[in-house]
Amino acid sequence: MGISLVIDVLLALGLVGLALQVVAGPSLFRSIVLFVVFGLVMALAWARLHAPDLAMAEAAIGAGITGALLLMTYRRLVELNPEKRGETYLGSRWLAAPVGVLTGVLVGLIGWAALQLPPGDTTAGTLARDALDETGVSNPVTGVLLVFRGYDTLLEMGVLLLAFLGARAVASGRAHSPGTSEVSEPALVGALLSLVVPLTILVGIYLLRAGGHAPGGAFQAGAVLAAGGVLLSLTGRLVPTDHTPLVQRLVLVLGLLVFSGMGLFMLFAGSAMLSLPGTWAIYLVETALMISIALPLALLFAQAPGLKGRGH
Amino acid sequence: MQAEIYVAASAAVFGTGVYGLILARHILRKLLALNLMGGGVFLLLITLGGGADGPPDPIPQAMVLTGIVIAVSATAFALAMLVRLYQETGRATLELEDDDQEGGGDG
Amino acid sequence: MSVLEIVSTGLLAAGCFFYLAGTIGLLRFPDVHSRLHALTKADNVGLFLVCLALTLLGESLRVALLLLLIWLLGLLAATVSCHLIARHSIRRKGGRSG
Repeated sequence: MGISLVIDVLLALGLVGLALQVVAGPSLFRSIVLFVVFGLVMALAWARLHAPDLAMAEAAIGAGITGALLLMTYRRLVELNPEKRGETYLGSRWLAAPVGVLTGVLVGLIGWAALQLPPGDTTAGTLARDALDETGVSNPVTGVLLVFRGYDTLLEMGVLLLAFLGARAVASGRAHSPGTSEVSEPALVGALLSLVVPLTILVGIYLLRAGGHAPGGAFQAGAVLAAGGVLLSLTGRLVPTDHTPLVQRLVLVLGLLVFSGMGLFMLFAGSAMLSLPGTWAIYLVETALMISIALPLALLFAQAPGLKGRGH
Repeated sequence: MQAEIYVAASAAVFGTGVYGLILARHILRKLLALNLMGGGVFLLLITLGGGADGPPDPIPQAMVLTGIVIAVSATAFALAMLVRLYQETGRATLELEDDDQEGGGDG
Repeated sequence: MSVLEIVSTGLLAAGCFFYLAGTIGLLRFPDVHSRLHALTKADNVGLFLVCLALTLLGESLRVALLLLLIWLLGLLAATVSCHLIARHSIRRKGGRSG
């Protein structure tokens, strides 16, 4: 009891301290790096709260992919205007501190009040847990995501696709290569890639399969695959194209198509909309989701409509 | 006791995010602050859905998992808009605020 | 407490010591290269000791292999990122003086 409480207190203090450093730190670059550290500490907090699915998602997406996106954007801004690198962009508003404290107190009061409520006997979560056997997966989070709250997951894929399309729409036509082509590449990088990229695919597929009965699932797997894509485009193995190739267009909408297609098919087959006919269907939808999560994230990082191998 | 600790932490992180959102001039900093606010909310949701010593309620877990992906999507879109804004105007701050800043004599 | 637990607790403590030493080096050393030196060397040993301790506690081949994989990946990532940071730092210095 004692020692675990100490760990919780340290994690909580670490989160708050890092958050303060992120918003009030003098250097923008440092703030971004500390934000990534914040995400990793948050992943530890999820693990402490018995939510390993969230811990993996936070580490892979919240810290990893978001951090890569932030750093890439920072680099592009510096490239566009190197003189402004030193500016801190920290304003001074007398209102900021009192408003921040007040909202913090408000959220704290809401949370404290909610903790005083007696725990309900039949929450949606307990119902979902009880009905888990019917779904064919034993990881309750995967069950909820795909079976009980399928609409959320479907719309989430829509949001991700919209974000990609929106980013394409606002991007200027000028092509931008994120790779460092003018600098010779150290020999170690190729060796690392030849090991790590196959491993990301392996880990992605493992996470997808494990998601049925253990922590994991399409989102974590997709994020790991996207990380492989990020590595490849960062080292110039994958270069941006001006248009999205047909295959990649199909891949972008594959998750939405398979999930909604399956849902509609079940509707016409006399079952409920978006219900899935068995475990095989869950894994099929999850595979499609994984691929359709990985590609837009990698493309968003590369800030390109499409990617192709360097040799082509 | 664990729940109280994390509720306090989530409130503090959320408040810090609001503070940073108001304070920041650079859009990248505002996005960091927004993501911190999101983190605070996620932590609150999971803590309140937690069992005594078992895994937390799967429904908030699924919602937070969805939320994490939505957050990265929105951030990526915002970053793309920021890059375009910077290309067009050479500034990474919102115009209104710059006037505000000069009006306040902060330079 | 069994002998196994005592040994693994000792290994964990030793691993934590190496992590602590590496972090103090990162914070206290003056320049990029000595900081990298402290961080990568000490942390790799620390990670190895922690993984070894957990292997002893895990008592299964599967866990042992997974931990071995984690350690090797950690080594690989530390090596390459250390190399890249050091290279970048040398290039930047060369650019300034020349």
